[in-house]
Amino acid sequence: MRAHRTLIVSLILAVVLAATASAAPKRLLIDGSTSMLPLVKKLAQAYHKAFPKLPEPSVTGGESDIGISDVAAGRVDIGDVSREHEAQDPAGLYGYKIARDGICVITNNANPLPSLSQETLSEIFTGTIRDWSEVPGAKVSGPIDLFDRESTSGTQSAFQNIFLGEERKITPSATAESSTGLEVNAVAAEKSAIGFVSLAATIGGGVHSVDYQGVQCTLPNAKSGQYGGVRNFWMLTKGPKKGEAAKFIKWIQADNKTVHAIITSEWIALN
Amino acid sequence: MAVLVLIGAMLATVLVKAWPSFSHNGLSWFGPGGNVDTQLRAMAESKALPGHSLYYFRGWTLIWGTLLTTVGAVLIALVVSMLAAVFLTEFAPPAIRRVLDPVIRLLAGVPSVIYGLIGILVIAPYIDEHWISNARRVSVGYVVQLNGNDVMTATLILTLMILPIMVAITASALASVPAAWREGSLALGVNRWRTIWRVSLRTARPAIAAATVLATARALGEAVMLAMVAGGRGFAPNLLDGITALFEPVRPLAATILQNDEGLTIPALSHTIYAIAAVLLVSAGMLSFAGWFAKQRFNRYGIRA
Amino acid sequence: MAATELAPAPPAGSVIARAPRDRTASWPLIDRVGYWLCWAVGIGLCLVALAIVAFMAVKGLSYLSLGQLVHSPAPSVVQSQSGGFLDPIEGTLIVAALGTSIAAPLGVAIAVWLSEYRRPSWLARTVESAIEIVAGAPSVVLALFGLLIFAQSFLGFLSQRAATGVVNGRSFFAAGAVMALLALPLIVASTREGLAQLPDRLREASYALGRTRATTIRRILLSAVRPDIATGTALGMGRIIGDTAIIKILLGAGLTLQPVGQTPVAGLLRGTGPTLTTYIYENSPAGEGLAPQKAYAAAFVLLLIVLGLNGIVTWLTSRGGQSGGGGLNRAFRLIPFMPNPSG
Repeated sequence: MRAHRTLIVSLILAVVLAATASAAPKRLLIDGSTSMLPLVKKLAQAYHKAFPKLPEPSVTGGESDIGISDVAAGRVDIGDVSREHEAQDPAGLYGYKIARDGICVITNNANPLPSLSQETLSEIFTGTIRDWSEVPGAKVSGPIDLFDRESTSGTQSAFQNIFLGEERKITPSATAESSTGLEVNAVAAEKSAIGFVSLAATIGGGVHSVDYQGVQCTLPNAKSGQYGGVRNFWMLTKGPKKGEAAKFIKWIQADNKTVHAIITSEWIALN
Repeated sequence: MAVLVLIGAMLATVLVKAWPSFSHNGLSWFGPGGNVDTQLRAMAESKALPGHSLYYFRGWTLIWGTLLTTVGAVLIALVVSMLAAVFLTEFAPPAIRRVLDPVIRLLAGVPSVIYGLIGILVIAPYIDEHWISNARRVSVGYVVQLNGNDVMTATLILTLMILPIMVAITASALASVPAAWREGSLALGVNRWRTIWRVSLRTARPAIAAATVLATARALGEAVMLAMVAGGRGFAPNLLDGITALFEPVRPLAATILQNDEGLTIPALSHTIYAIAAVLLVSAGMLSFAGWFAKQRFNRYGIRA
Repeated sequence: MAATELAPAPPAGSVIARAPRDRTASWPLIDRVGYWLCWAVGIGLCLVALAIVAFMAVKGLSYLSLGQLVHSPAPSVVQSQSGGFLDPIEGTLIVAALGTSIAAPLGVAIAVWLSEYRRPSWLARTVESAIEIVAGAPSVVLALFGLLIFAQSFLGFLSQRAATGVVNGRSFFAAGAVMALLALPLIVASTREGLAQLPDRLREASYALGRTRATTIRRILLSAVRPDIATGTALGMGRIIGDTAIIKILLGAGLTLQPVGQTPVAGLLRGTGPTLTTYIYENSPAGEGLAPQKAYAAAFVLLLIVLGLNGIVTWLTSRGGQSGGGGLNRAFRLIPFMPNPSG
C-alpha cells in the first residue's frame, strides 16, 4: 500500500514538472571564449535584470574554437569567439561584434619586467631564448617557465597573429592552459613564469603586465590605439540571428547606458 | 529488482557508448603514439588530425600515468600500513591507541578536494622550490616544463589517501588473530617482533590482500585530487630519466575524464571519454575478481577479512 | 613433580600479561629497527593528521568571516574580497538531502530483502555482486552513467534544454540521483550487519505471537536496527558531501545557484549550482578563480561538516544496536565500503 502511494505521488510530481518545463521559455545557452566569459556573464545578469520574465542566459567557457563547433552543431545558441574569422571555420556562421579587448603579456609579480621589444618577445615565445639571464630587465634567474594557451583558444590565435606574425609558432614545450583564469593562476604561481592573457584579466592585480614596445598595457592605451595588441569580441550564431539569441544580441549592440557601463569597465566599447 | 536493472544498464550503456572509440582504433587504443593532448583537442574541435580519422586516440600515455601513480602509491601504502597496523595493535600504549583510532577514521573521511587543495597550495610549491633544481628543469626544458605538480606529489598524497583503509582492515585482521597462536609462538621463545611478523601478519594475509584490492580500486578511481595535483599534461615520463621522471607531470585516466567533462556533448570526444570510463570500470571489476581470487588462496591458513 | 615455585603461577587465561617482559633491548638489531619503524609510522600518522587539521583550521579561520556564510558568491575580478559561499552551502545541503532521501528507503528495502527473504537465491547473489560493483566503481564512471541517462529526451523535464532541443542533463536531480548510488552500498551494508546481529529468537517470538513476516519486519526488526540505519545514512551522507567528481560532471562549475523556470522548488532542483566541493575546486589554482583564501575558508567549513558527521557516526556506533561493544569493530568492518568518500 505504502509503495503504491509513493508511486502515485512521484507520478504526479513528474507530471507537474513536465508541465512546468514545457511552459517555461527556453533558456539561452552560450559558450566559447574564456576571455569573453566575465563580460558575457555580466551582460547576461544585466539582461535578466532588465527582463525578469526571461530566464538568465547560461554562459560557460570552453575556448573560442569549442564555441564555434558547438554553435555550428546546434549545441548552443550563441558562440563567443575572441579572434577573427579563419579559413578553416565552418561555413554558415554569422558574427556580431560586441566589444574589443587588449591582450597583455604577463609575468609573475616577483619579476616586474619593464618592457619587451617585438624581437625579444617572439624569441622568448618561440623558444629561442630559454633563460631569464638573456632577457634585459628580468628580476629572476633560471629557466623561463613559458605558459601558452590550448590550440582551441581564440586568445592564442589572436596573440600569434598580432605579436608573433604569421610564420612563427609558440614552442610546443610551453605548458598549455585551457582558459584565461587558469593562465592567470599559472603565471601568478610561478616566479619564473611568462604568458599572455586578456587585458581585463590583469585588472585585479595578481600578475604584472609587461609594456610592449614601450607602451603600457592599460585600458586607456588600448582604447586610444596606442597599445597595439587589441582584438575583437564576436558573438556567432548559426545562420542569421533569430529568436531569443537575436533579442540578446540586439540588446547588447543597442549599447544602452547599462551595457555601455559594463563594457567600458574592463573592455573597449565599439563606439 | 529495479536496482539490478539499473546497474546492468550502467555497464551496458557505458560499454555501448564506448564502442565507437574502440572500433576505430582497435587494440592500438592502448598503445603509444602522438601527443594525447593534441588528439583530445582535435576531437573537441571536430577537426581530424591530418592523416588520421576523427577518433584517432592512443591512450598509452594516460594508462602509463595511471600505472605510475597507482602502483607507486599502493606499494608505499602496503609497507606503511603494515607498520602502522602492527603499531596500532601491538606496540601502542592504550592512550595513543585511543588517539590513533579516530585519527585514522578522520583521515579516511577527509574529502579529496581538501587533499588536493593542500597538495596544490602547499606541497607542490614546496617541491617546486626545494627539490627541483634548475639543472633538472633545463635538462627536460625542451620537452616539458616542470613545476611541483608531478608524479611524486601525486603519489605521496594518493598514498596518504589510501592508507586509512589499509590500516583499518589490517589492524582489524591482526586483532582477530587467535590469541593461542601468538601465545604459542611467544611461549617458544620467539620475540614479539618476529611473532608478529611470522605469525600474525601471515595469518592476516587474506585481509591484507583484500585491503590492497580496495586501496587500488580507490586509487584508480581518484579523479579530483589527481586532476589538481598530478600536472594535467598528457605526458609519459621515461623512467630511464631517473629521478627526473618523478618530477614530470602526468594525467591519470580518471583525471582525464574529469578535465574533459565539458566536451561530453561533442560526439567523438564523448565516445573517447566513455571509452576511458569503460577501461576504468573493467579494471575495477578485474581488481575485485583478483581480490576474491587472492582471498581464496590465502584463506586456507588465514583469517577472513 | 614437587610444586616448587620458580615463577608465580599465571592466572587463568592470560599468559601474556604475567609473563616476564620481553625487553626490546634483547632483540637483534633488525628486529629493533622494525620496532622503531613501527613507532615512527604510528606517531607520524598522528602528526600528519594533526598537521592537516591544524593547517586547515589556521588557514581557514584566518580567511573565514561569518558574513561569508550568509552571502552569495559575487562574480568580480577581485575574487578575494567579494562574496561569500551561501550558495555552495545550500547546494551541498540540497544534494545531500536528495541523495540520502532516495538512497535510504531503497537501501533499507534492499537490505531487508537480502537478509529476510532472499528468494530466488541467484537473484540475491546477483544483487549482492551488483552492490559491490557500485561500491567499487569510481565515482567518475557513475557520474558519466548518470549523464547518459539524464541526457535522454524523455527525462528533459528534470534538467534544461537548449533552444535547439538538446537536453543538457545537468541538474540537482541528476546529481542527487547518482549520489544515491554512492550512498546505497553503505546503507545496505550497515543495515544488513544490524539485521544479522539480531538474535533469531526475536523473529521467532514475533511469529509465535501470530504476526506475519511483513509486520515483523516493519514493526520489530526495523526499529531494532534503527541505529544501524542511522549509521549507514550518516556514512552515506559523509561520502556524498565529500564528493567532487560527480558534482563537477553533473552540476557544472558555476558559482551561484541557477534555477530553471519559475516554480519554486522544482525550478531549483532542475537548475545547476555549486556545492562546497566544486566551489573549493574552482577557487583553487586548478580552477578559474584566483582566490585560494576563499578555497581555504570553504575547505575549513567542509572539513567541519565532515568531522561532525564522523563524530555522529562514532557516537551512534558506540551506542550500538544490539551489541554495544561491537560498535567500533562494526565501524571498522564498514570501512571496506567507504573507499571513496569523494571522487
